[in-house]
Amino acid sequence: MTTEAEDPAGSASGTASVRLRNPDRTVDVTAPRQVRQLLMELGLHPDAVLVIRERELLTREDVVRPGDELEVRPVISGGSR
Amino acid sequence: MMKCRRCRGRSVVEVPRANASFCGECFTEHYVRNLVVRAIRHDEMFRHRDKVLVAVSGGKDSLMLWDLLLSLGYDAAGVYLGLGIGGYSDRSRDVCRSFADERSARLHVVDLAETEGFTIPQAAATGRRPACAVCGLSKRTLLNKVARDEGYDVLATGHNLDDEVAVLLGNVLRWETGFLARQSPVLAAAHGSLVRKVKPLYRVMERETAAYCVVKGIDYVVEECPLVEGNTQMRYKGMLDQLEASSPGTKHNFLFGFLERGRDHFPRDGAELRECESCGSATPSDVCAYCRAKEAVTLPLVSVR
Repeated sequence: MTTEAEDPAGSASGTASVRLRNPDRTVDVTAPRQVRQLLMELGLHPDAVLVIRERELLTREDVVRPGDELEVRPVISGGSR
Repeated sequence: MMKCRRCRGRSVVEVPRANASFCGECFTEHYVRNLVVRAIRHDEMFRHRDKVLVAVSGGKDSLMLWDLLLSLGYDAAGVYLGLGIGGYSDRSRDVCRSFADERSARLHVVDLAETEGFTIPQAAATGRRPACAVCGLSKRTLLNKVARDEGYDVLATGHNLDDEVAVLLGNVLRWETGFLARQSPVLAAAHGSLVRKVKPLYRVMERETAAYCVVKGIDYVVEECPLVEGNTQMRYKGMLDQLEASSPGTKHNFLFGFLERGRDHFPRDGAELRECESCGSATPSDVCAYCRAKEAVTLPLVSVR
């Protein structure tokens, strides 16, 4: 797991793949960048989604690196229960 | 690096309303667990000797609840109601079965089409009642029936804090005083045909139930029900999320302020319950709302000249 502290500024740039859900689609985003910035670019509020990399959760401060495969999963569900 | 408030390890879950973040283990085994244990004890929901039936949909909330109750040592079985919503229902049922098999837990599976002769999409197609309304009525009636017939002491549902807050907002906006008087994490069995209903997740936020499942590796159905688009509760949740983002704790304060200081101001209706002439469920009318809805769904359409 990579954290901001472990990701020095100036690391090689590239793209990360982001799977969005409901509806399912995949987008490429430039990396490295913080999760916070990624969600802002995607127009998503951090409290409304979970960001998952290799089955582990990321916080807003974690850094997405080139080559990462992420899932951004909404947490709101509706209808009758 | 964000640090876990409890153990100072690397945190993976932020909890803005508590102004804290946690590592996976402290989040699931302490933070969330404590919220649920507190709910069960504070509201005297059930005891370890009780037989608990958990209504599971395949979604994050109900599976998280079932997982936690089993890990707390409760005698908890599951019940899944197949709604006939194509592949969505098939996947949901399979996820519930896998969950139960992995834990050697008992799962009751009831199919709406087999037992009642209709599906929720068929109900929606008639246009006589919203799909979510028929779905809710079907669940309330049929899940209670399984709990009663199979001898369970209590029926537990996965309603979380966000669900309860959205319902509260809707009831306030429409001044549904009868519903406001009854909104509670515990619904006592007000009639011999009813089983006590409880909501052990009412202190847990929706994002927290989803995070619990990811941390614990619980496979749940992420896709949304295809019939839920435009659902009023979803719109309320979106609005409440905006309020929560600008002022963390808003949802908690709204719900718990109501439960502690608001609810008792609303008079309970004193309607006496009796058995439905058709199915025997408790109802204040001759025929219960579910049977009326079922009749409306299964009646042939009448042409209008």
